[in-house]
Amino acid sequence: MSPTATAKPSSSTSRPAQPLPGGYAGKLLRVNLSTGKVWTQPWSPDEMREYLGGVGLGAKILYDEVGPKVHWDHPENRLIMATGPLAGLPVWGTGGLSVITRGALTGGATSTQANGFFGAALKFSGYDAIVIQGQAKKLSYLYINDDTVQVRDAAHLKGKDTWETQQALEAEHGLSGHRLSVYSIGPAGENLVRFAAIQGDYGHVASKNGCGAVMGKKRLKAVCIVRGTKALAAHDTRGLIQAADDIAHDLKTDPTTSTLYHWGTLFGVTNLYKLGVLPIKNYTTNVTTVDMAGWEPAKLRHGFDHRGHQCSACGMHHCHIQVIRKGPHAGERVDEPEYEGWSGAGWQIGVTDMEAVSWLNTRVDRACVDVNEFGWVCGWVMECMDKGYLTEKQVGLNLKFGDAEGAYRLLQMISHREGFGDILAEGVKRAAEKVGGEAARCAIYTRKGASPRGHDHRGRWDEMLDTCTSSNGTMESANPTHQTEIGLPGRINPFDGEQVARLTGGILGRRHFEDSLGGCSFTFRTRVEMLARALSAATGWSYRLEDAMRLGRRTAAILRAFNLRCGIGPESEYPSERYGSRPVDGPAKDHHVMDQWERMLDVWYETVGYDRKTGKPKKDTLHALGLPWLAKDLWRK
Amino acid sequence: MPTRHLIIGGGTAGLNAIRTIREEDRGASEITLVSAERPYSRMVLPYYLGQSIAESHVFTATPASLAAWKVKTLIGRRAAALDPEANALTLDDGTRVEYDDCLIATGSRAARPPIPGADGPGLHSFWTLEEARAVIAAVTPGRRVVMVGAGFISFTILNAILSRGARLTIVEVAPRILPRMVDAGCAELVAGWLTRHGVAIRTGVTVTRIEERRGTRILHVKKGEALPADVVIMATGIRTNLEWLRDSGIDMAEGGQGGILVDDHLRSSIRNVYAAGDVARGRNLITGAPEVHAIEPTAQEHGRVVGANMAGRDVAYRGSLLMNIVEVCHLDIASFGQWDDAAAEVYTAVRPDRSQYRKLLFHGGRLTGAMICGPAKDIWTTNDVGILKGLVQSGVDLSAWKSHLERNPFDIKPAFMATHNPGRLLPQTVLGRPSSSPDLPQSVNA
Amino acid sequence: MRVLALLPDRCTGCLRCELACSYVQTGSFQPAKSVIRVSPFEGYTSYAPYTCTQCAEGWCMTACPVGAIRINAAGAKDVLDDRCVGCKLCTIACPYGTIFYDADTHKAYKCNLCDGAPACVEACPTQAIVYREAETADWLGDFAAERTARLLAQEVA
Repeated sequence: MSPTATAKPSSSTSRPAQPLPGGYAGKLLRVNLSTGKVWTQPWSPDEMREYLGGVGLGAKILYDEVGPKVHWDHPENRLIMATGPLAGLPVWGTGGLSVITRGALTGGATSTQANGFFGAALKFSGYDAIVIQGQAKKLSYLYINDDTVQVRDAAHLKGKDTWETQQALEAEHGLSGHRLSVYSIGPAGENLVRFAAIQGDYGHVASKNGCGAVMGKKRLKAVCIVRGTKALAAHDTRGLIQAADDIAHDLKTDPTTSTLYHWGTLFGVTNLYKLGVLPIKNYTTNVTTVDMAGWEPAKLRHGFDHRGHQCSACGMHHCHIQVIRKGPHAGERVDEPEYEGWSGAGWQIGVTDMEAVSWLNTRVDRACVDVNEFGWVCGWVMECMDKGYLTEKQVGLNLKFGDAEGAYRLLQMISHREGFGDILAEGVKRAAEKVGGEAARCAIYTRKGASPRGHDHRGRWDEMLDTCTSSNGTMESANPTHQTEIGLPGRINPFDGEQVARLTGGILGRRHFEDSLGGCSFTFRTRVEMLARALSAATGWSYRLEDAMRLGRRTAAILRAFNLRCGIGPESEYPSERYGSRPVDGPAKDHHVMDQWERMLDVWYETVGYDRKTGKPKKDTLHALGLPWLAKDLWRK
Repeated sequence: MPTRHLIIGGGTAGLNAIRTIREEDRGASEITLVSAERPYSRMVLPYYLGQSIAESHVFTATPASLAAWKVKTLIGRRAAALDPEANALTLDDGTRVEYDDCLIATGSRAARPPIPGADGPGLHSFWTLEEARAVIAAVTPGRRVVMVGAGFISFTILNAILSRGARLTIVEVAPRILPRMVDAGCAELVAGWLTRHGVAIRTGVTVTRIEERRGTRILHVKKGEALPADVVIMATGIRTNLEWLRDSGIDMAEGGQGGILVDDHLRSSIRNVYAAGDVARGRNLITGAPEVHAIEPTAQEHGRVVGANMAGRDVAYRGSLLMNIVEVCHLDIASFGQWDDAAAEVYTAVRPDRSQYRKLLFHGGRLTGAMICGPAKDIWTTNDVGILKGLVQSGVDLSAWKSHLERNPFDIKPAFMATHNPGRLLPQTVLGRPSSSPDLPQSVNA
Repeated sequence: MRVLALLPDRCTGCLRCELACSYVQTGSFQPAKSVIRVSPFEGYTSYAPYTCTQCAEGWCMTACPVGAIRINAAGAKDVLDDRCVGCKLCTIACPYGTIFYDADTHKAYKCNLCDGAPACVEACPTQAIVYREAETADWLGDFAAERTARLLAQEVA
């Protein structure tokens, strides 16, 4: 019998009630899978203002509750699914959640975002975040229906992919559509694949740093939330709606975001190709004979029977469900790939058949691994087989660039840890190190164990610098948006390392702020000041741009301190040999990032106010951020 | 000379008939209303008992409003005999009222079972306003209330009794609660819910005798311990008020207990005598069979159809749909049509953790009955309540959807939409015209 | 009369209309109380909003035992809170499933076209809900039939 419980507040926290700021549910849901105990923990308006939600809240809980000896696979590791104060409100794209945990790839902090309706459902159920600890005795799932919270047996879900899992739970509970939001792991998570992800609501993935492996280790197959019946108040409702409409207007009309508004990230393929940033065949080239006119956004969308499938309150023409029109998988419903999918399940592994990419991309989400890391693993195997560094005997199949069905077989081997898949399941860095030799030199990763997003960062240095220096298992600040708002230049020379580092360091914090609100990094591509205005209207605080950046930088510092405590320091802030190599052709051919890397690090450290030698945020920096307790922790020796 | 309409009974059917006549003729005819009581809505008495409305709220017409409608009233008088040949009604005080056409809408009354002591003083029924007043006076905080009968009537006042602070026990002779409204599976779910909300339920209990001992009523039962009670409410069924028609020559079923036989215009065997509501054996929309549906919606529709016909329109009635809804402790229970049909193909599903129950009954491709239960705060349940009604009402062919619905009886909305039910239902009106705002003169505004 | 034209081909299932409607109904964001309800019609895709068509019969209105439902200036059937007792008769009378019950206020409630300025229309980012002069109609029937055809075909297997 699964332990069941009704979530009741813990008795220890009976402080005088302060009024709850608008936008908050006011409680954290706590679950201990080892004991089956479920309880709620109120948090105070002061804490809300200090940590907001999402990664801001999650970083603090992670730092407080996960010590250096609690590795990713330790039962005491925390899996935090946090949303934020804008979730469930009419600001576009606010169904978001951040997954914060100690991850399996870097062994350090993880913050990875996903959307859909989970965050909104969580809030309407009365919770701002779920903090999961312990390890279930057998495969279980967490069921949340307002105050009823149960850890339930998931034996019937074992081995199911993420879409099958959601369908099974919908049938089990007699709920359809957005009435039930489900985030789950696939076979990859169950089998502790180090780059396993957590997928939800048909196509949204918290993908980074093996958060799905953490969930699998906890024997937690899924978290499902009935939409929730509770009310969310806003302090100034009319003001909030106005802010939401202004943000929407910005997204529709600003030249830097209107393509995103119309096409989501589809335009990435052709745009990034022009910059030499589209990864092709594992960084072995940056040019193709494929006619790129066929990869314009309109072709990618209208090549399929497509239906809008937006997240909570979102007006972007971004997320879609597709029905494949032709080929061996005709009739299958898939999630329209993001740019990352066209890249990781497509160009990076040499697959340029649209239907095949689209199909494979969803299969990756369903088996549930990070599509980027899958691309780096699969592309690496393909290149190595091409060059004879890996043999068919070793791998178990003959895999060539462009072979989508073969890639799918490799995906299955990885997610079930079969044969060579067991080695690949460790991620590209560990697999490459294990295989060694010439093969190892072809692998794309950071020394920390993370890997880039679906780009060729040899033409996009800000993202490479960010991917290597970040503390969250992926990028934490790059991709500048309206940076003139905080006094940074609108344009720089992308191959001037110093300018790149100044900009990358300068915008540190913005993304942490966005990821604390419970929304989407695409619908939040407006000015920070606008987001702060929405937050102020929701909560009743007077929240400004400075507060937002400060919150973000504070969060970044806490994550960095967490990683330093885990032994992850500046020595690992380098790309692998291939990742940092000189492009052999294409638009970025003449630029080699490693020529300037040390200088970039110097400037980045100086810009963010961290100590170059130890990697620690400097005492002054921490005091300026209002983190004296962290300064004491980091600098007591 | 204007037509003389006589309405016998001031309940739902009678008032709806009057309102419809006036909608149609704008005051051209003469209307006389004979009613034993001042017109009120029995449907809302439980809310008066529960103190969420004042007594004035229950009245559906006042003397002033009836006067404004140009209705001649004989309130407090009962019909005693009808002489169809003479087109005349005799009242209990001997008054004789002549008519050109008349409506019999005398409704029902609470019935007491043949249990020794069950008709004694201090035992209550809950049907009329007078009875409601007595229950209100008796049910006070802390008192032990025993309700005999776990049917629709007792469930409509369950919340009110609890809200008055009384301790409630329900006794039912059948092995389960709501035996004439839901099936065993649903009853089990509801009983569990009620028990969790502090209502004591004793099913399969036959009360043999009720006695009074120093102000306390003792209910002796066939097996087990006797129950003490401060207040006993008998909710054991109803009887039609038709005894007075015995010698009229109007055709009735089962000596009146089966209602007055009516045609599709709700005329009795006498052409200018109509019947409506609890006393009319009207057409069942689903089966086409003549049947008494002693429910509010049937009384309303009957009254409106009769009103239109009396006013000279030619309105055929398609038939009434048996349906009920009751909420107990924030749990909704509703059923439609032939929900208890052994010959039907039945799909059921229960989700105990959400207190959700569904039952779909088919004959071929047609949904002929349905049952639904779920928390009142769940808006999707209410959404489905109406959709189920719509599917049963439209009688649409759901053949293509049956296997889907067998798999998931909860997923009715796509079936409802894909079979174009809104399109089928939109042209449907009871009177063949759009309804107007019910400018029913209301005492509550007075 | 101006009615809510529902154009399901445009709906992406973002549920923003539910937020806006619940704000009008309750003063806060509580989609559990929105009277416009968005549902899927093919698995988890093909969403469409649905609310009261303001039908000619007005089943809810004619069923109300206390005359608590009236036609307002915008032509919508509207519940008068001070008259409604919460008996729910309207919810079983309405064959469309579009009159609801608020368990907190103990009153029935439904789409009243926001007295002529529907909030859902303002909120919808894709103009899937349009307030315009039209005959009320079966807005979703063809869409639902088309989209669910695939669903049913798959289930036969």
